[in-house]
Amino acid sequence: MPLLLVFSRACSRCLVRCLARYFSRRTALRFSRGFLPHLTALMLGMLISSVTWAVEVIAHPGSVGTETLSVANARAIFGMRQVKWPNGNLIRVFVLPDTHPAHVATCKEKLNVYPYQLRQSWDRLVFSGMAQAPVEVASEAEMVARVSTTPGAIGYVNRIQNNEKIRVINVQ
Amino acid sequence: MCNEFLRQPGLMRCLLAVMWLSAGVAHADDRLQLHGYLSQTAVHTSDNNFGGKSSSGVAWDIRELGANLSYRPDADWLISGQALARWAGEMDDGEPRIDYAFVERSVLNAEDSRLKLMVGKIKNPYGLYNATRDVSHTRPGVLMPQAVYLDRMRNFFLAAPGASIRGEHEADRYSVNWQLSGMRMEADDPELKYLFAPLPFNTAESLGTFKGSGSWLGQVMVDVDGGKWKAGLSFGEVAMKYQSSGLPFPLDHADGKVRLVPVTLSLQQNGERLSLTAEYTRARMVNELYNDTTTVEGWYAQATWRFSPHWEGWLRHESLYFNKDDKRGSRYLLLGLEPVLGNSQAWVMGVRYDPTPQWSISAEAHRVSGAAMLSPQDNLGPIGSRFTRDWDMFLLQATYRF
Repeated sequence: MPLLLVFSRACSRCLVRCLARYFSRRTALRFSRGFLPHLTALMLGMLISSVTWAVEVIAHPGSVGTETLSVANARAIFGMRQVKWPNGNLIRVFVLPDTHPAHVATCKEKLNVYPYQLRQSWDRLVFSGMAQAPVEVASEAEMVARVSTTPGAIGYVNRIQNNEKIRVINVQ
Repeated sequence: MCNEFLRQPGLMRCLLAVMWLSAGVAHADDRLQLHGYLSQTAVHTSDNNFGGKSSSGVAWDIRELGANLSYRPDADWLISGQALARWAGEMDDGEPRIDYAFVERSVLNAEDSRLKLMVGKIKNPYGLYNATRDVSHTRPGVLMPQAVYLDRMRNFFLAAPGASIRGEHEADRYSVNWQLSGMRMEADDPELKYLFAPLPFNTAESLGTFKGSGSWLGQVMVDVDGGKWKAGLSFGEVAMKYQSSGLPFPLDHADGKVRLVPVTLSLQQNGERLSLTAEYTRARMVNELYNDTTTVEGWYAQATWRFSPHWEGWLRHESLYFNKDDKRGSRYLLLGLEPVLGNSQAWVMGVRYDPTPQWSISAEAHRVSGAAMLSPQDNLGPIGSRFTRDWDMFLLQATYRF
């Protein structure tokens, strides 16, 4: 992180120097005092937001009968359209709140959708009777607890601790 | 205001039913689910009435309340039903009714393809939004885009008893959903008589009755890259029969059939912050009551910007002509009615704030030219003084869902 700070500061200074050619020295100084911290914060924010979360899709170990899912298949499952595992068991989907970092990361990295799209698609299915809603849990600890004890369950977590009670599903 | 609202018998019955159901479902597992919504809208218009007496103050008569139960005994069966009460000025009085109630059976449930059969009262999938048009937080604004989803036709177009087959197929880059439904439309709505059977120089509703006929609707929707692009085609043929009171013209029409053959194209692009949506609809209308065939044409284009996780704003333009070959509405003039009834163009701007996942507050401003979206039931008076061509509308809506 200190390296990132140095890098972003260097970039900001360079930008400000270029701008200074077009402004008077006094204007540039005033500009850099007000602008530099904002620019640094913005660049840091961009860097942090581009850091990927190591989310994993998890499932109940004994009842799902598979260890891999295609992206399209995972999207159909979390989109509540696919409700049956290949072995015939009912799929039970568990999710975290829409703004939870692990939910956002799962949507973007594993399912290639934006969280609002998933929410819109659930709402349209649930309020036309075509499908049921996923079960929302409050925390990752609750997610692991529910997925490990519910036959047919699927969910996701940010960090996986050594836990034999859940199965990691490879989404590819 | 609040007391008056709660005293309405329909609303109280619905609230009691929802409370009773939620108590039961709280003890059940997640295969039995209860969801619902409640929204209240306030409307003010510069001229013309929409959703109550909106031009002489603020109208509070647009209100929606619904609750649904669904039960999935196993992966191949789903039983769903929803009850709703809707108030919309003089167009809807809050009488509770079944919105949908059907049984779904999966006949194919493979990894990337599914085929489902549904029997009962089923929501009509049409365009991007028709199936959940009453659920305010699924709408693209406070009101549906009237040029494609005209509220005056809502009761007719929303849901109908029948059967439906639905297919879903997923591939790496795209998915395809299609649905084909056969149904008997529900047409016992007085508004349909103002739309399809107005009488010359007469502002009252015609004396006969409309009854739904056998109809069908189909839809194909393609999602590319997880819905970043959506393209859809909706089509079908819907019909209703007019049963005359027996009085001769011009006191009433003779018996006859009204057929609509609509086609709607939908296109949507979804980015992280920006969504662009356009829908175009064209419907051939064969109206035996006037012995003529006309073409209805409507479209809208909307940009929605999600500027934070809790806020979004939108800008929309929409245009509707009941007869695309008579954009000035001269046929209405021949009937002795206002030509302004034949079209409606509007600019719409709105904003929505979601303070929690359950609550939404939206505000919307409309600048409208034309009266096609206005119900004569809300706008009483002598012919010629009922409608003003150019008018503005402001709406504020609060929604709760669970």
